[in-house]
Formats: sequence, C-alpha cells, structure tokens
Amino acid sequence: MEILDIITPLFLALAVGGTFVGIVFGAIPGMTATMAIAVCLPLTYSLGLENGLALLLGLYVGGISGGLVPAILLGIPGTPSSITTTFDGYPMSQKGEGEKALRIGIIASLVGGLISLGILYFFAPVLADFAIRFSYVEKFLIILFALTVMAALSSDLLMGIFSGFLGIFISLIGVYDITDGGNGELRLIPPGLEYWLDGGFSLLPVLIGVFGLAAILEQAEVGVPKGQSMADVKIGRDSSFSFSIFRGQVGNLVRSSGIGTFVGILPGVGGSAASILSYSAAKTFSKTPERFGKGEPAGIVASESANNGLTGGALVPLLSLGIPGDAATAILIGAFTLQGIQVGPLFIGNNPQTWEAMVIAMIVANLAMFTMMYFAIRMFARVVTVPKHILFPIILMMCVIGAYTINYGIMFDVWTLLIFGLFGWLGVKLRLEIAPFVIGFILGPSAEIYFVKSLEAFGDATIFFTKSWIAVVLWVLILGSLTASVYLAKRGKGGEATP
Amino acid sequence: MGELTRITIDFQTSHLIFPTLVGGVLALLGLAILLTRWRGIVGAGGHWAGIWSQMDKPRLLGTVVLTVIYFSLMVPVGDVWPNRGFGFLICSIPYVFLTGLLFLHDRGWRDILPVAVMALIAPSLVWWTFTELFFLTLP
Repeated sequence: MEILDIITPLFLALAVGGTFVGIVFGAIPGMTATMAIAVCLPLTYSLGLENGLALLLGLYVGGISGGLVPAILLGIPGTPSSITTTFDGYPMSQKGEGEKALRIGIIASLVGGLISLGILYFFAPVLADFAIRFSYVEKFLIILFALTVMAALSSDLLMGIFSGFLGIFISLIGVYDITDGGNGELRLIPPGLEYWLDGGFSLLPVLIGVFGLAAILEQAEVGVPKGQSMADVKIGRDSSFSFSIFRGQVGNLVRSSGIGTFVGILPGVGGSAASILSYSAAKTFSKTPERFGKGEPAGIVASESANNGLTGGALVPLLSLGIPGDAATAILIGAFTLQGIQVGPLFIGNNPQTWEAMVIAMIVANLAMFTMMYFAIRMFARVVTVPKHILFPIILMMCVIGAYTINYGIMFDVWTLLIFGLFGWLGVKLRLEIAPFVIGFILGPSAEIYFVKSLEAFGDATIFFTKSWIAVVLWVLILGSLTASVYLAKRGKGGEATP
Repeated sequence: MGELTRITIDFQTSHLIFPTLVGGVLALLGLAILLTRWRGIVGAGGHWAGIWSQMDKPRLLGTVVLTVIYFSLMVPVGDVWPNRGFGFLICSIPYVFLTGLLFLHDRGWRDILPVAVMALIAPSLVWWTFTELFFLTLP
C-alpha cells in the first residue's frame, strides 16, 4: 500500500518527463546530465522530496543515456562518459549502421542501469548499517579516503589533492556553526564582506556555477560551435538490428556493468573512467580485439553498460555514507538539503519511503529511457541538431533561477554563481581538478566537525590511527590509493576523473 | 610520545583549528607544485598567450559582460514593482535575446526571428511557472 502511495501519476510523469529532458540534454554535445540536474533543481522546490527526486533521477538516467546519440551519429561524446562509445559507434554509423549501433547502446544502457540498481538496492542498506557504527574519527577518515581516491584517479595527483583541499578551504569560509557544535565565530572572510559571507558560499550556486555556467563559458570561448544539420547525421535506415547481436555478450554486459557500478561507488570518479576501464577490459577479454575501434558492437556494449552502471553505483556512497559518488549525485545532495533531510548512514533507516521512492524512480527512469530511445530513436537523433544559440541563453537564465531561489531570494547567491562559473572555467586552464574541488567543498564542513570533535573528545592526535580496526583499514586504503596513483603515474597510465 | 600528541582544544578559538590546518596543507601542496613544476610555471606565458589568441573574445567576454549587466540590473528594476518578479522578467528578455544574438553565426532576419521569439516566450513562461505556479520569489 505504501508503495502505491508513492507511485502517483505525478511521480510517474516526473520520472518519465525527467528522463526525456535528460536524454535531450545528454544528446546535445556540450550539455551533460549534471547540467540538466543543476538547471532543473529549482523545479523541485514545490514538488516535495519524492516527486522532486523522481524528476532528478530521471534527468540523471536520461542524461547519461542520451550521450550515446551524438557519440554514435557524430563521433562527439554527448557526455564525457560516452567517450568510448565513439570508438566503435561512429565507425558503425559511417558504415550505415547508425540505427543498429544506437539500439545496441540503448539495450546495453538498460542492462547496465538495472544491474547497478540491483547492487544499489542490496548493497547500500548493508553499507549504511555498517557505517552507523562509525564514530567521528572513522567518518573523518572516510572523507579523507574519498578525497585521496578522487585525487589518485585525477589526471594529476598533486593538482587533484590541491583541488580537494582548496574546495575544503573555501567551504570553511563563514561562521563555525553553533548548530554543528561550533563556537559561532567567523573566519576566512575578507574585510567588508562579513554581511554577505556570514553563512559562507551556498552549495547550489557553487555547483550550478562550476557545472552550468562554466560549461557555457567554455562553449562561448570556442565560439559556440554551429549545430550539426540533419545532413551530417547518418542514422542508416537500412541497418538491421537483431537481438542475436547480444549472443556471446552476456559476460561483457555483466562485467562492464559491474565495473561501472564499482567506479560509481568510488567517490568523485567520473563516468569516463568507468567506460574506459570497461572498454579496455572488453578488448582484453575479446577473441577479436583487432576489431575494436573499427565498429565492433562489443565496444558499444562495454561502454554504454558501464556508464549506465555508474548511475546506481554513484548513489551507494551518497545514501549510505553521505558522500556523493559523482558530480551529478553531488547536486542531488542539494535536493535533500532543500527538503531539510541529511543523507548519511541513517538516511535509509529513517526515510524508508524516500528510499523506496528513489529505487522505483530509477526503475521507471531506466524503463522509460529504454522505451523512448528504442522506439523513438529517429526523433532523438534529430536532437543533436538543436541550435545552441537558442538553448544556451535559456540555460543561463535557469541557472539564475536556481541560484536565486535556493535561499528564498538572496542576490549574493546569483553573484556566487558567476564567481564560481568563472572559477570553473579558469580552473580547468590552471589544471585544477574540478571533481575533487567540488567534493572537497561539499564535505569540508563535515570534515571539520568530525576532526575537531574527535580531538575534543579524545584529546590526542593518535586517535585517528588507534581508534579502531576500521580506522587502520581506512589508513591502509588511503595510503594504498596514493601509492597506486604514484605507481600508475610513473608507468604513464594514470586514470582520469571528470566532473 | 603521549605528551607530544596530546591536544587540548580551546573552545573560543576552535573555529580556527581546521582552517589553519587546511591552509597549512594547501601551502605545502602549493610549494610542492611550485618545486616540481617551476619550469612549466615560468614558461606558462606561451600557454596563456595561446589561450588568448585562440579564444573567441567577443562571444566569451560578451557573455560575461552581458551577464554582469543582467545581474546588476535585476534588483533595481525589480524594486520598482516589489515582490512581483518583474525585475527577472524584464531583464531576462533582453538578456536571452542579446546572448542568443551573440551566439548566432549567421545574423539574417530569418535567423534572428526564432531567437527573438524564444527570448519573449522562455522568460515569460519561466516567470509564470515560478511566481504563479510555485509561488517562489524572483527579483
């Protein structure tokens, strides 16, 4: 009965509608699932938590899935996580097999999404139950571990760590909040800005700035490339698709979905890392590796099942530890914050209805994504030609709405959007890593509370090493991730992290 | 060893402990970056010159300037009709139009017309949705 209470027509319409809009965002090069969620977040203010999450999760699943359309038809990844889809999708499209490649990608996306959802459903509550036992010491070390994993998987370890700590530092600007056990004193505020920065920079304007405005500034910098015409799109009307293509691909599907889910669970690691890892694995295990990169369906299967596998995986640390698995789920924290709900180990136990609603929304979104894209793929193929000179100004306007309404009408939040939009654009040029920066910014205030309260309670710095066996394991993982990163960097095979 | 690692937190200054620690780590990391990449940093002039020369300056700087003007005018215009959100509506229409015009490649009348129509429809629809449907405050 409770489930039926959740699945209202509005809930379903929002999940399906969100998926549709997400596919459109994902299908337009330069626009991402993260941007879709950031731009549409203000719509959730009046929807309530479950309905709002249905919309945002639909956008998330749709946004990740839509990236395959331009990747296959134009050879341009619609989202960073579709990069390896171009390797075989575009050659297939060039051979007149565009529609066939799209359908392979859509089915792989569905399987990846559902497998990761299954893992989320069974694994997140177990991890949350385990994490309930964590004291402030272990919680602080978990955040430190999240930051080192992200930094380790960045293209540059040193810059990755620096970016993460910079995010933490900026998040500490403002008052040391009494409600969190602080002393109510201000710190790090430049003279004259006390009035504006009393509460620090708000999370959502920062996120919308670095993921929304910065992306449009990047496009403006390169002249807002002209949209493609339908003449550029080779969908291949005569290409025949048959499910027999998936014969012998079950192992590839399961392995790639698993890799995607696992990468999603690692905090802050983007979908591009998931698809690259699974593509490499598929090529390694293939009997015909020489066909990869020339239009091999197995390449599309690996890439798309992995990047959709990310969707469920990235929600695992968010819902069990309160640590976002990727940039898009970082923005989901904003939706919870808006409704006054804190995500962490107690979330699933204290909010079973919201938890069930999220799982149902993900199932609906995956099924809606499959149905819409599989049966209306020709329509979505046209999306890649939507003119950016019309879309981008509207997105800029929506960014303003999101920033302004987050605290019910503070203009400084709109300026924050601009400041961090420029920061996000410039940061990339300075080789800063945006994903660790954002996660550092989100987790900084919690890290401070856990760190200071641990010292207050135990009065000894060695407590971070001696508190429990979990602390020891976390230190081993922290040092292991840093060592592995240095080793990989020396071998010239460093991974990649993307926002 | 026990004495060395013992720490007493003074509640009055507890707000400075973590920022000082993070600031210290940042300074050390910054130093490490300087020491390991000083050649690249010293020779970064070419990198920035390349970015500047390849940049579409009118579109990028135009977007920033238009956005600053848009943000600056929204509140003063909105204050003329308090709590109605007209500042957002009245400023968004020219902003969306001018930014669209800036991003256009061919600026014939047939290209400008859809931009103009969208500049009228989109802000009006968004304004109506948020103020009338969701009862949210806009500037």
